[in-house]
Amino acid sequence: MAAPDRLAFVCPRLAGSGAVGGAETLLKNLATHAAARGVAVDFLTTCAQSHFTWENTLPPGVERMGGMDVHFFPVDERNPGQFLQIQQQIDRGRPVSVEEELLWLKNGVNSTALMQHLAQHAASYRAILLGPYLFGLTWFAALAHPERALLVPCLHDEPFAKLACMRRLFAETAGCLFNTQAERELAGELFQYPDARARIVGMGLDAFTADPTAFAKRRKINAPYVLYSGRREPLKGTPLLCDYLHAFRQRTGRDVKLVLTGSGDIDAPAELWPHIFDAGFVSEDEKHEAMAGAVAFVHPSVNESFGIVLLEAFLAGTPGLVHARSRVLVSQCRAANAGLWFRHYPDFETQLTYLLDHPAERAQLGRNGRDYVTREYAWPVIEDKFFAALDALLPR
Amino acid sequence: MSDTPILSIGAEGLDVAQLVANLQATVERKARDGVYADARVARAEKTNLIHLRGTDDFITFYLASLREAVFVDIADFEIRERRRVFGRLLVAFKTLIWKLLKFYTYRLWSQQNQVNGLIITALEGMEEQNAARVAALEKRIAELEKAGHGRA
Repeated sequence: MAAPDRLAFVCPRLAGSGAVGGAETLLKNLATHAAARGVAVDFLTTCAQSHFTWENTLPPGVERMGGMDVHFFPVDERNPGQFLQIQQQIDRGRPVSVEEELLWLKNGVNSTALMQHLAQHAASYRAILLGPYLFGLTWFAALAHPERALLVPCLHDEPFAKLACMRRLFAETAGCLFNTQAERELAGELFQYPDARARIVGMGLDAFTADPTAFAKRRKINAPYVLYSGRREPLKGTPLLCDYLHAFRQRTGRDVKLVLTGSGDIDAPAELWPHIFDAGFVSEDEKHEAMAGAVAFVHPSVNESFGIVLLEAFLAGTPGLVHARSRVLVSQCRAANAGLWFRHYPDFETQLTYLLDHPAERAQLGRNGRDYVTREYAWPVIEDKFFAALDALLPR
Repeated sequence: MSDTPILSIGAEGLDVAQLVANLQATVERKARDGVYADARVARAEKTNLIHLRGTDDFITFYLASLREAVFVDIADFEIRERRRVFGRLLVAFKTLIWKLLKFYTYRLWSQQNQVNGLIITALEGMEEQNAARVAALEKRIAELEKAGHGRA
């Protein structure tokens, strides 16, 4: 396959350097692997690291990273009060006008400098890949150059996806690179998205080996534990996980600990605190060790478009325990034959008890997960899918 | 509905969809036996309610749990402190405050318990009335459909 011309990736934040996020990680990894295949890549992002404040904390300019040119642009002045007011209305399912939708997008995160760069250089890019879908920067940049814009939407079934402006975004851009079949089906339901403009790519994961006893030894954990990795916030379901594990410990009398890695406050019942191990930010190696030693990786979020950490847990040989309302995570568990899904606490209690009491079956689920991710999400497989998607959606 | 005990599920040919279905059947059997009519279950579900609203048996399940959780617990409880510095001192201080104030809170909580009890009773009554009304309507529709088919 002939190497495509220059590509641009647009993402509000650069993963790493203090910023955490599945979509950001996915876009950065796709860009890095495209660059590793010899494609010239510009990664266009902002100087912000926090998706709460969008404060310009990194210096503007261009840096060579991972074989690509990373361009940092300052975030524009914004009105956070107006943004939050409209966002709350949307979040509560209240109707908002088209003008309010635009105000919400304008006061989210934007960068005039980045838009000027695109205006000058868009013609030199074969494709502009942008994501995630719900940020003002993605929306304005994509609709300024729709004929070259390929969304990597990381779409969730949430109120923001039902806005009129999003219907326009998906209708007018050249195509979408979805992460999973379940995400692609959601776009079909929301926007009647046509097959001709949709491709499923996802992200590759490198296989690893991890000692399943290392994390517990190092952290002096002397009981079985369940793990969650990522942002700790209500939207990710971490309060639900804490409540469930607390009830599980009380009702079953079994000493099961909760290990958390990542960032954010933990909202947990006071009695559970002595049984929570908050590891915070850890190295990739330590995260993999924590995954390998867990009874299960619990992913209580219902809004996921891919589930990177669940797939990493599968690679570590650990089964998943996910919320039944997350169609993406359930589809990953089904496809891998490596995880269970709970609708409510009684399901959670029964399934966790099952995993604790059936080590042979748990190990089998773990092996299934590892085989699945190794087979379906090896980087060469994903790279081929990515370039095939480019050829199909933006033929030269 | 399958009553397959979960212990009989083996690793050979493990199928997660079947496994989840079997475990859910176990949950439904235990729910009928009242295993989850428990205040702790009701409390644990507080952030999951939004996801449960659409399910058929949500009201029955949740009212059963709520019945167990409805009364405010006014008994003494273990006071904990996460801060390491002055932790013991803070626990002693909070314990003293609790002992001094609990007499005055009893009146408040007992009134709250009365209100909670009335509300849950009203909710249960409404649910029973609605269930009976829906059952009667369904029966009537079935009879009308049967009569309609007879005429045709």
